[in-house]
Amino acid sequence: MAADLSRDAVLAALKTVAGPDGASNLVDLGLVSEVVLANRKVYFSISVAPERAQQLEPLRLAAEAAVKKLGGVDQVSAVLTAERAQGAAAPAKPAARQAPRSNPIVVPGVKYIIAVASGKGGVGKSTTAVNLALGFQALGHKVGLLDADIYGPSVPRLLGLSGKPQLTDAKQITPMRGYGLAVMSMGFLVDEGTPVIWRGPMVISALTQMLRDVAWGGLDVLVVDMPPGTGDVQITMAQQVPLAGAVIVSTPQDLALIDARKGLAMFQQVSVPVLGFVENMSYFLCPSCGIRSEIFGHGGARAEAEKLGVPFLGEVPLHMEIREKSDLGTPIMATAPDSPNAGIYRDIAQKCWSALAGGVTGAKAAPRIVIE
Amino acid sequence: MNDSWPTEIKLSPDKRTLNVAFDNGDSFALPAELLRVMSPSAEVQGHSAGQRVTVPNKRKVGIRDVRMIGNYAVQIVFDDGHDTGFYRWQYLHDLGARQAEHWRVYEAELSAKGFSRG
Repeated sequence: MAADLSRDAVLAALKTVAGPDGASNLVDLGLVSEVVLANRKVYFSISVAPERAQQLEPLRLAAEAAVKKLGGVDQVSAVLTAERAQGAAAPAKPAARQAPRSNPIVVPGVKYIIAVASGKGGVGKSTTAVNLALGFQALGHKVGLLDADIYGPSVPRLLGLSGKPQLTDAKQITPMRGYGLAVMSMGFLVDEGTPVIWRGPMVISALTQMLRDVAWGGLDVLVVDMPPGTGDVQITMAQQVPLAGAVIVSTPQDLALIDARKGLAMFQQVSVPVLGFVENMSYFLCPSCGIRSEIFGHGGARAEAEKLGVPFLGEVPLHMEIREKSDLGTPIMATAPDSPNAGIYRDIAQKCWSALAGGVTGAKAAPRIVIE
Repeated sequence: MNDSWPTEIKLSPDKRTLNVAFDNGDSFALPAELLRVMSPSAEVQGHSAGQRVTVPNKRKVGIRDVRMIGNYAVQIVFDDGHDTGFYRWQYLHDLGARQAEHWRVYEAELSAKGFSRG
């Protein structure tokens, strides 16, 4: 086996690759960023003008080939990122077909993996996931939080975390620490302002890395903040990870509930037990006049949960304190644990935990696979 | 959620039979050939009934590997390279419970197209 690879060696190799202008090289042009080495795998990104992403695919391949030649590397992934956010950026062409072919990822030492999902975006999934994770922790559990939203990672901001994760001796990524949680997010690998312009296969491979190559250590529960929708990330999670349950977040609005139902149906199709619905932005209690306004209607998620026969876990109001603390990276569950709103999250965490530990989720043990 | 839930999936030593036991007491011996020609993969089923293909010459096909897919299915890797079928629990149960019928339909398709089991 070749000697351990260094970041400098990777950069030196990339200096041999000519940049898009054909004259200077990638490194001197300042186009290479985010070199990550983990477990004999190398990742880096090359900044390009979004409209040229498609034609610069040979450049990406050349960069990968240059690093591969170093030896001591099992896998090299170069990605093209856009220089600047642009409306109609041409997506980078991903590596050829790389559908998951491996056995399900067993995340060692993690007792339960649960997904926090919604059909619709913007309903407060990430805020719920963060406070739910902290709620589990308040109950005395060891908790991790995985931000599975590759395109729009919110967890770093919500927990006030920045910087890059370190590598362990075993070439695994050490999760970042926020308010006692073990945390991993794509947001730690890419600057907040840089868009990730990837097709599905790249997203799947990034997510797989974050599950497989992170040293979570012993955890009672790993909370996964899912992106909205029922696409690549959701399929990957359902197929690669034995999920113990899913929490579905919705606003009371019909428009959000329609998609929440789809989320529920998806988890049922892949035999993932649904722990229940959370109604977020449930009502607004005016701090000056005390009048309660039900901005998105009220009780929609509870009624829907009853109709669909899944538990209702609780309603979280549209509250200034929750919003402000979320944006400041000082989540309410950690910084105002005795507030009534934190109490709501703790209660939701308690209900989820009871269902998981009490074995009332309807989950059945996986069959034994015997190859004689 | 479907009610057929397997407790054990066992590949025979000759790699030609998958023995599947369900928690309701049902138990089926599924020949690799049947699993292969009835693969739920889009490579066999297409994207609609009209695109379904009849797969001939698989009498001697074997199974190389069986892998869990999340909580809901197994991926079967055959020794002819086919590995894109994810077999849900209910589908495995159906292949076992209506095995005779599936064979009859398959044989009829083979003879209609002038193919054989090989």
